[in-house]
Amino acid sequence: MANTAPETIEEPFPIFKVAHHYLIYDVNIVSHIRREYNICGVLSGTLPQSPQQNVFQGLPLQLMPEEARVLIEKGVAYLEDDHAAHKRTFLGNGMSAEEKRAYQAALRRQGAAAAKEAGRKKAADKMAALSRKSDTNKTENWNDIPEDMLKPASGRRKNGKGKKGDQTPSDRPSDTEEALFDSSTPDTTTNGHDSVPADITTDPDPLLVTPTVSVPPLHSTPPPRNTSTPQRSPVPTPASYPLFAHLHSKGYYLSPGLRFGCQYVAYPGDPLRFHSHFLCNGMEWDEEFDLLDVVSAGRLGTGVKKGFLLGGEMDGAKGEDGEDNVRTFCVEWAGM
Amino acid sequence: MADVDEDAFTPSAPGGGEDQDLGDEVQDFRFLASISREDASIPKRGDKDFEPHGTALQSNILTASRQAMHNALSYQRMHQPKNHVVAHYHPETNMAYVPNPKGIHFTKVGSVLSAKHDPLGDDERRGQRLWLLPEETLLLLERGVLDVRWPVDLDDEGDEGLPMSLQGAYAMFIGDGETDTSSLTLERYLVYSNLKRTGYTVQRAASWNSNGPPLGPECFAPRSGRTWDVGLLETARWWYLLLSAKEETAPAEQRVGPLVPNRLYRGYPEIYRRLALINYYNPTRQHIQDPEFSLYPQLPRTEDLRVTYNIWKPNSPTFKKSAPGPPDFRIAVVNAREVDIPSLEQLDALLETTPYDPPKDTAQLYQKLKYGYKNVILAIVDQGIVSYLRFGDAAFGLEHLYERQRGGPGGKRGRGGGRGRGGRGGRGGR
Repeated sequence: MANTAPETIEEPFPIFKVAHHYLIYDVNIVSHIRREYNICGVLSGTLPQSPQQNVFQGLPLQLMPEEARVLIEKGVAYLEDDHAAHKRTFLGNGMSAEEKRAYQAALRRQGAAAAKEAGRKKAADKMAALSRKSDTNKTENWNDIPEDMLKPASGRRKNGKGKKGDQTPSDRPSDTEEALFDSSTPDTTTNGHDSVPADITTDPDPLLVTPTVSVPPLHSTPPPRNTSTPQRSPVPTPASYPLFAHLHSKGYYLSPGLRFGCQYVAYPGDPLRFHSHFLCNGMEWDEEFDLLDVVSAGRLGTGVKKGFLLGGEMDGAKGEDGEDNVRTFCVEWAGM
Repeated sequence: MADVDEDAFTPSAPGGGEDQDLGDEVQDFRFLASISREDASIPKRGDKDFEPHGTALQSNILTASRQAMHNALSYQRMHQPKNHVVAHYHPETNMAYVPNPKGIHFTKVGSVLSAKHDPLGDDERRGQRLWLLPEETLLLLERGVLDVRWPVDLDDEGDEGLPMSLQGAYAMFIGDGETDTSSLTLERYLVYSNLKRTGYTVQRAASWNSNGPPLGPECFAPRSGRTWDVGLLETARWWYLLLSAKEETAPAEQRVGPLVPNRLYRGYPEIYRRLALINYYNPTRQHIQDPEFSLYPQLPRTEDLRVTYNIWKPNSPTFKKSAPGPPDFRIAVVNAREVDIPSLEQLDALLETTPYDPPKDTAQLYQKLKYGYKNVILAIVDQGIVSYLRFGDAAFGLEHLYERQRGGPGGKRGRGGGRGRGGRGGRGGR
């Protein structure tokens, strides 16, 4: 589990800008900003271990412009133009030969470690299957399920539940992970048939890796901190930004809310654990709006057991002690 | 307004918005393992708390959820030598090509280009080389089945090129956002991947980066009376009209006299027909040659609302990569932060480009109204979250409530009793 624990993050970290969208690819930063700064973003990629569903999604993490701006104004992140950086490095000869060799070596190491891990896992699976075969009705075997669930799935995994030793791993030709070792592939020269998977001392050929991040060859440097220039946000944000920043500073987790008919959905804690409380719409202080909007949004919010929250920044100077000047109002259908 | 018929039409009426699908809420990643396994079961929602109450139990569960999420996300994409497929990035076209495509994933994506169009020219390997569009490459890389390589340096012999990372693929294929409309936007990619993950077959529509081809005859209602059986039906209808209502003569008579003159009527439909004075939009008469029937003739097409993708259902029997056939759905991708709620004119211009697709004659009244005579789906992307809305060109004027055959409890009303409750038939008219 050591390799999966969230690492400590060096701040400021880069937020990658791709076509006016703000993306994060590093899983450690994803966990970090969720834990430390109440920023969840939206996972919008495909999980390679489970690619045929839309319930759970994977990297990259897409940040709203508001979220990116909050992080940048806190000074913990900076923007990086990812398209230009990749073009420079990979297409414009921006990499020296040593850098390239170092990168390839690093990838090979990663692949070798993965191949070794796969071999070990296969051996462990085989052992587990054999022991299960020997005593079929041991309920202790069920205990390995939760632990198994917490491990990162490296490839298609066999589950312990439901099948008790009716198959050994080598019976399953669909399992690509094991097929690597069972069949002699043309380029596997060091690894003959006789080197049984249990023998993990022989190093298998390194697997080929498609990395998630390009940070080892790319090195992004944070811009020099310039405190004298007036802070003009590099991220264009909508007029509702003051409300977003206000709610975020109060500890709410916010996520985009169009599918609930509002601008933001506010959660009292991490959305992994809690239901949302408010449907939020930001307004300008003197903005006129239809009273029917309050009725419809209020009814909609009450219908899904949430409050409709309306807020905006008051005109005039900032409040004392650096507090923002945002006021919020909550509408709930009383149904008396 | 609760009516017997309405209840019958929607047997599973939504109970106060409670039956949202799972995608609507952030799911607990601890359940990911349960759907990755073979006995796949989708986790139930509702296993969440109202608010933090500071207990160790709650924070431990949250930590476990976050750890499960972290683990799920830290998966590394590895390629087994056995099913390792390499693609090469082609910067000039911003596409990628697979020299040796094998495996199930390439049955519905990519195309072999003709000698004239292949950017690499007509060498001996052209017939096998599969060119992948940006969204196709990106999704296959994201699924972990494709190993995309950067272009090889010419001075570096025997080099396969560096592997392209997920980050690199997004950076190159989504682009810098400043270029023309032909490039893939993140919104379009998200809709593409969202549909592909569900199993649909997705292809770019003709109006991907332009207004598309001019409207063909399939976009208009066909003229009736082409074949002899339709002609027979028309004749029968004509006799029916002649015998029953003398509909055609009614307006002239009504212009000077009362709407419903004082005479003998043998049923309500005739009276209702006489009361129907306001013209309505009739999509079945939008024929190709008479543009005066169209509400907005020669509509200007907007840049923002165009059919982006053609969609086929999973395992569609008609779909073939070379000759896809008519798609099951058409989808227009909309960025929620850049495009306002479409106006009626914009929607009408969009619907005009879709083929005429009338509901089945045997369908129930409400199903007909919902289905419409033309339809399009809007995929609205709000910061990474996709919602789908279906728009249909409904014809309320064609569905006469007073002609509806009432079944069930309505049948108990006798002929004689109907007179006392004359208002009932029209109540559904709202």
